[in-house]
Amino acid sequence: MKISIEWLRDYVDLPGDIAQLRQDLTMAGLVVASVEQANGAPVLEIEVTANRPDCLSYLGVAREIAALYRGHLRAIPLAKALRRDGERIPYSIEIHDPDLCPRYVGLLLDGIRVGPSPDWLQKRLQASGMRPVNNVVDITNYVLLEVGHPLHAFDFDRLRQGRIVVARARQGQRMVTLDGVERVLDGEMLLINDGGGPVAIAGIMGGRDSEINGATDKVLLECAYFTPASIRRTSKKLGLSTEASYRFERGADWNGPTTAIARACYLIRRLARGRIAGNCRDVYPSPIAPVEIELSGQRTESLLGVRLAPEFIESTLKRLYFKPVRKGKGRWLVQCPSHRADMELEADLIEEIARFHGYQHIPPTLPPGRVAGKLSASFAYESAVRNILIGLGYHETVNLSFAGDADIRRFPLREGGAPLEIRNPLTEDTQYLRGSLAPGLLRNARHNFNHDVRQLRIFEIGKVFCRDTEGAIVERNALGILGTGGFAGKNWLHTAGEYEFFHLKGVVTTLLSGLRCAGAEVTPASQIPWLSDSRRSALLVDGKCLGVLGALHPSLEEELKLKQPVFLAEIDLQSLCGHLFAPARYRPLPRFPAVERDLSVLVPMEISYGTLREGILARGIPELASIDLMDVYEGEQIPAGKAGITVRLTFLDREGTLTVDRVQSFSDNIRAFLQEEYGAAFR
Amino acid sequence: MSGSTEELRRGFEQDLAQIENLDAWKRIRDRWLARESGIITGQMKRLRELPKEERPAFGQSMNLLREFVEDRLGTTRAVMEREALEKSRRHIDVTRPGFPYALGTLHPITRLRQEIELIFVSLGFTVFDLPEVEQDYYNFEALNMPKNHPARDAQDTFYFDENLLLRTHCSSVQVHAMQSMKPPIRAVSTGKVYRRDPSDATHSPMFHQVDVLVVDEGITMGDLKGMLEVFLKRVFHPDIRMRLRPGFFPFVEPGAEVDISCIFCFGAGCRICKESGWIEILGAGMVHPKVLRMSGVDDTRYSGFAWGMGIDRVAILKHGVDDIRLFFENDVRFLKQF
Repeated sequence: MKISIEWLRDYVDLPGDIAQLRQDLTMAGLVVASVEQANGAPVLEIEVTANRPDCLSYLGVAREIAALYRGHLRAIPLAKALRRDGERIPYSIEIHDPDLCPRYVGLLLDGIRVGPSPDWLQKRLQASGMRPVNNVVDITNYVLLEVGHPLHAFDFDRLRQGRIVVARARQGQRMVTLDGVERVLDGEMLLINDGGGPVAIAGIMGGRDSEINGATDKVLLECAYFTPASIRRTSKKLGLSTEASYRFERGADWNGPTTAIARACYLIRRLARGRIAGNCRDVYPSPIAPVEIELSGQRTESLLGVRLAPEFIESTLKRLYFKPVRKGKGRWLVQCPSHRADMELEADLIEEIARFHGYQHIPPTLPPGRVAGKLSASFAYESAVRNILIGLGYHETVNLSFAGDADIRRFPLREGGAPLEIRNPLTEDTQYLRGSLAPGLLRNARHNFNHDVRQLRIFEIGKVFCRDTEGAIVERNALGILGTGGFAGKNWLHTAGEYEFFHLKGVVTTLLSGLRCAGAEVTPASQIPWLSDSRRSALLVDGKCLGVLGALHPSLEEELKLKQPVFLAEIDLQSLCGHLFAPARYRPLPRFPAVERDLSVLVPMEISYGTLREGILARGIPELASIDLMDVYEGEQIPAGKAGITVRLTFLDREGTLTVDRVQSFSDNIRAFLQEEYGAAFR
Repeated sequence: MSGSTEELRRGFEQDLAQIENLDAWKRIRDRWLARESGIITGQMKRLRELPKEERPAFGQSMNLLREFVEDRLGTTRAVMEREALEKSRRHIDVTRPGFPYALGTLHPITRLRQEIELIFVSLGFTVFDLPEVEQDYYNFEALNMPKNHPARDAQDTFYFDENLLLRTHCSSVQVHAMQSMKPPIRAVSTGKVYRRDPSDATHSPMFHQVDVLVVDEGITMGDLKGMLEVFLKRVFHPDIRMRLRPGFFPFVEPGAEVDISCIFCFGAGCRICKESGWIEILGAGMVHPKVLRMSGVDDTRYSGFAWGMGIDRVAILKHGVDDIRLFFENDVRFLKQF
């Protein structure tokens, strides 16, 4: 709300120092966001919170200032009488839906000379951000800004049968508003009708057909009180917000209409030569009772944590136009002014007292502890994952949780879920919540590639979303890892080599061992459409697939114009976390030395290392402590269709020293098995 | 006689000083200690020629000399062996950089979230993990923001259907905590929140918040101030000052906006704080009686306070970041700075 200092001085004395006023208003809850100059005078930009519609006016702000500085509020000139004996033009007002319109006040003036407003009025409107139109419309706007109550002026000659009927619209009814837009209405929207049909959407905007124009002679002034929720609903539904609807939906003063109309009448008679032709009609079938709240001084003190004199409580409320009536020691029944739409409970009154006591004068204290702190379950495993990955050289990223059509197409959900669609997305490419972390990480890769960073190690921990087959929303914590680009550094130590599948696999297996994950294995995977057929794996934990890893499919690499292989892993962290941090049981250290034997074999290409390893382990030699892949040979020196590998077998007997003969027999056993089972040849 | 021992000792030290290699060392050793022809052996042979009463003293001084010679020869040999081993090593330039181990970085928002959660745990709070897809009831309704409440305007919301939405704040922790715990309650939750604001330098449709709830008997606004002060001093700086002024949030009454003294100009006034010396940092207040009641807490017996703060905003202030989008672009040149 723009408040011109020049105009504000009409109602209240101000301190000479505007900076001081700014500070005091801000500390009292009316934030002065800025002070600008208009027509050589300062204009305050006041941020009025949604609970204080009473401050959306000059008088409202002046009221606060008068209370703050214990000053005096100057009265505004009003028309002395709103009726004349011998009404010249009869008219009628009927309210059919008093639940939405409890009060409607009308006044008919004629002999109006429509023309431009005087300079001072135009300047004041402009200083408060309004565009001057003509004297009648300007006066309604002026009064809106001054007393805070919206008014509407109809060209009475355009109203059929001289009738005003306030009633709900018919479903699908149409009308054209002042802005020239045809509005389609529903049965819960309140209309102002004349004898023939709608002339205004109540409390929001007038109709085009009864607009004030240069030829207008008679003006029917409307000033009503509408139910806030109804105005808000209609305004939202029509996507139409006006100065009037803004105030009505927050709660206008139900005692405001008579003042506003008397003020408007006063100004119209002076500035547009109008005379009263039809008396003021105040249709108010069931007057609204003032809000009364019980206030306890003790409760006030205990909520704020300060001592307060009863006299202070009483005088503060009175300065703000509340009427406290003593009900025993330190107790009041407080009647709230009708302009304070925010008053409902004792806490609302306590806030008023706190505001005028000054929040800054409440001494800080610490409440007794009484409870022990506790981290969330995810903190431990998420921190462990982060620490390990950071130690391995990966940077943590945070991506927006949105996804577009292309992301959903390229990275289809596993397990038959459906993407989670946002009903009112910001843009087309953010119309879903992500079902995978991969698209975000790839966007990060592209961004970095575009800035010539082509060696990238990043990860993200975050939620992924979908609808399951029953349509329920699933939200799961996931981990995504991306690695790409070689290891070559601009460093005299000549680190080198390309990032490949086994680097990513190493990160995943190292992570799992660091997390003490039991029962995890990385196995070849079949259908993961976004990973390369020849370089993809699944992470199985206790036989259940909890993740995938591999090279991005070359077709996607091309489609996304990445121009280099990119490796991705995605892990269902939420399911994995139940398998982590296996308890550690001490095992006595071996007292006897281990013995190593290297075995170099030639096997058919189609026999995987995993198969060999499983086969050897299945021999059931308890003394076989570990198998390590030491070397792999492929190519010219090796017969076609064969691969050469060297494994190191480590034997250990916890009960005694292994003899050469026993080691030899283990080794022979394994050799014979490999020969028979896989046709292995030895070198 | 002692003069002669002293001379011998000086003679040995002259010999010792000339040793340059192992051969020379052996020669000197033999010259002084050889069983038949060594100088010390020769002196000992003179013992019988001396008068009886001089013999013990002479013998003692010769033994001391022998020990001295053996000790010094031993030391000299050890030094020579050490030097000989070292000579087989190539000299390196230790001023060159070390091996380039790659270390990753924690995202600045995560770092701050962890820091904040640990502060609260130390103050006795229970940390809640809450869903990002939330029911209207937890995000609005139970926080005294019924449908058609104007305060919903300030939080333009993404919806999935009538009832489900992307949470617009972490304040839902208030409702979840009061439903799952009995007072005394100290609850906190951090995480992503969403508002339908297009991205620009100061807005993002996704950002992060921390929300706090305390409910107990006799909780006062002074307690709110005290706890806020502890928290803000730990997050920002022990010398930070704070001020509360009236503010409006539907789920608190009285409500407060909380400012901290500008961390750039220390309150003197600068561009960041718009010359005011203060920076608006969070919203707070005493839990609204309706919010307590709706979650089944007796508002005549208990009171409480709550506050909510944007984490990204704190990160922006602490690190001097000038565009919120940098946090979600994940440019490693940016990430590596934290």
